[in-house]
Amino acid sequence: MAKRLVNVVLTIFGIMTINFFLINLMPGDPLLNMVPRDPKFDDSLKWDMVEKFHFNASLPERYVIYLKNTVTLDWGSSYMQKESLVLDIIINDMRWTLLLVGTSTVFTLLIGMGMGAYAAYRRGGAFDLSSTGVSLFFYGMPIFWFAIILQIAFSAPTFGMEWWPQLPTGGYYDVVRYPGAFQWNLSVVLSVLEHLILPSLTLSIGSLAGVSLVMRSSLIDVMTEDYITTARAKGLTDYQVLRHHALPNGMPPMVALIAMSIAFVIGGAYQVELIFNYPGIGYRTLNAIYDLDMPILQFIIVIGGAAVVVANFLADIVLLYIDPRIKIA
Amino acid sequence: MTSQNPITPAVRNGILSEVTREKLRLFRKRNVKVMKQIMKNPMGALGITILVVFAFIAVFGPTIAPYKVDVVAGGQFDKYLPQSSEHWMGTDVLGYDIFSQLLYGARTSVIVGIFAAVIASFLGASVGLYSGYVGGWQDEVIMRINDIVLSIPWLVLMIIIAAFLGEVNMVGLILIIGLTGWSGTARLVRAQVLSIRERQFIERAKAIGANDLHIIKAHILPNAFPLVFANTILTVAISILSEATLSFLGMRPVGVVTWGTMLSYAWGSSAFLIGLHWWIVAPGLCIVFVVLGFTLFGYALDDILNPKLRKR
Repeated sequence: MAKRLVNVVLTIFGIMTINFFLINLMPGDPLLNMVPRDPKFDDSLKWDMVEKFHFNASLPERYVIYLKNTVTLDWGSSYMQKESLVLDIIINDMRWTLLLVGTSTVFTLLIGMGMGAYAAYRRGGAFDLSSTGVSLFFYGMPIFWFAIILQIAFSAPTFGMEWWPQLPTGGYYDVVRYPGAFQWNLSVVLSVLEHLILPSLTLSIGSLAGVSLVMRSSLIDVMTEDYITTARAKGLTDYQVLRHHALPNGMPPMVALIAMSIAFVIGGAYQVELIFNYPGIGYRTLNAIYDLDMPILQFIIVIGGAAVVVANFLADIVLLYIDPRIKIA
Repeated sequence: MTSQNPITPAVRNGILSEVTREKLRLFRKRNVKVMKQIMKNPMGALGITILVVFAFIAVFGPTIAPYKVDVVAGGQFDKYLPQSSEHWMGTDVLGYDIFSQLLYGARTSVIVGIFAAVIASFLGASVGLYSGYVGGWQDEVIMRINDIVLSIPWLVLMIIIAAFLGEVNMVGLILIIGLTGWSGTARLVRAQVLSIRERQFIERAKAIGANDLHIIKAHILPNAFPLVFANTILTVAISILSEATLSFLGMRPVGVVTWGTMLSYAWGSSAFLIGLHWWIVAPGLCIVFVVLGFTLFGYALDDILNPKLRKR
C-alpha cells in the first residue's frame, strides 16, 4: 500500500511538471492580452504585471515558484480578472460542475447498471439486443452534437404537439426572474434543477454505454461460474441468484470503470458546459485556453489530473476491500 | 496491365519462397474464416455493412457529389440558400453545397480516424510490449509516465498541443490525435504481454536458447496481435470522435472539409434558426453511424480473435 501511495504522489508531481512546461512553453504572449493596447496607458501597468506574475523570472525559477504555490494553495490571481483569486474562481466554478457531473453520474450508474444487469440476465433476448444496440448508438455520438440536438429539440419547436415540453437551455438558473447573487430558496433551487435537466441528460446518455456494457459483460462472465450453477441447483430463484451471487462478484470491474470514467466525464463536461452556456470548470478552461490565462489553466489541469489519480487510488482500495482475491501489489 | 508492374513477375518467378507463400495462404484462409464468423454475428454483420457503405462514400464521394467542393477557390453559390432540388440540404455560410460537403467529408474523417488510430496503436503496442517484456525499473518509469498522460484531461491536452502547432492541417490533426491516444493501448498490451511472458512455451523457447528478439517476434507478437488489431479498430472510432470534437472547438484542419468543421460552422451560424436543419443533423448522424460501424466491427473482432472472451 505504501508503494501505491508513493506512486500517487509521483504521478501527481509528474502531472504538475508536465503541465507547467506545456503551458509555459505554449506560443503566444499573455502580456499582450492583459495590457490594454492603448497609448494612454504607459508602461508602468505592464511592469506591474511583469512583477506580479514573475514574467521576468527564468523558467526554472518560475517552476520552483509554481511548485511552492501549488502545494501551499497560494494560487495567486487570474491574468484576466486581476482582482479575483484563482482559488476563488475555481471553487466557484467547481461547485456548479460538481453539481452537473454528480447528478449525471448518479443517473448513469443507476440506469446503466440496471440496463446492463437485466441485459445479462436475459442474455440474447430482445432487451439485451436492443439495449446493446441503443447503448452503442449513443456511444458513437459526439457529446457536443447531442447537446445541440437536445437544445434545439426542447427550445423552440413543438413538432405539432402541444404537450411537448420546453426546457431551459442555458445558464445555472433563471437570472432574469431571480436577479442578483444565488440565494437558497425553493423557487431558485427549482430553477437550478430545471436548468440541470438537459445538460445532465446529455452527459448521462453519453456515458451510459460504457457502464451498461461493462456491467453486462462482467455479469455474463460471472454467470458462467460454477458457483452460479450451484446456487441454481440449490433451488434459488433467478432474482436471488442475481442479487446475492452474481451481482457482488460482478462489481469489481465496475469499480475500476467508475474511477476511470471520471476522466471521460470531465472531458464530456467541457463540451456540455460550452453548448449549454453553463459556466463551470469546463467552460472556464476553454476560455482560459483562448485567453492564455495561465494561472487558471494550470491549476484546473492539476486539479483535474489529481482527481483522476486519487479516484483510481480510491478504487484500488475499494477493490481490495470488496474482492479478497486481489493481493496488495 | 500486369506486365507493367515490376513486382508481379518477380513474385511469379519465386522471389517469395515456398514458405512465405504457404504462410500467406494460411493467413488468407484464416482471414476468410474470421470474416465468415463476423458475418454470423448479427452485430458484426451490421458493423461491416455500415462500414462498406461509408467506404464507398469515402472512395467515390467526391465523384458522385453534385458539386465540387474546392476549399481553395471558395464556395460557388450564395450563402444560406434554402433546401431545394438543386441543393438538397441548402448551402452553407461560405457558399458550399452542404450535401456535397457531406460526401467530401467522409473521406477526410475516415482518413483522419484510421491514420490516427494506427499511430496510436503502433506507439501504444510498442511501449506496452517493451514495458511488459523488459519489466523492472524501466517498466515502472514507463507506467508512471503512462499514468500521467492518462490523467491529464485529454481534451485540454489536445487543444494545448494544437496551440503549439499553430495552424493545423490534416497531418497535424492526425498527429495530435495519434500522439495523445496511445496510453490506453499501452496498458492493455502490457497486461497481455505480462500474461504471455509467464506461459510455458516462452520458458521452453528460452531453454533452447532463443534470444529476446526471436521470442518477441515469434511468440509474443503473434499472441498479442489479435488484441492490438481489435483495439485499433475501436481506436478508429474514438479518433473520429476526437477529430469532430477538436474541429468543433475551433481546431479546424486547414484545406479540408470534415464533418467536424461542418458542425463547427453550422453551430456558429445557428443553422437551425435559419432553417438549414440538415446542416447540423446530417454530419452528426454520419459521425454516429461511422463510429457505430467501427465499434460493432471492433467488438465482433474482439469476440472472435480473443478466445478468452468467447461464449463459454
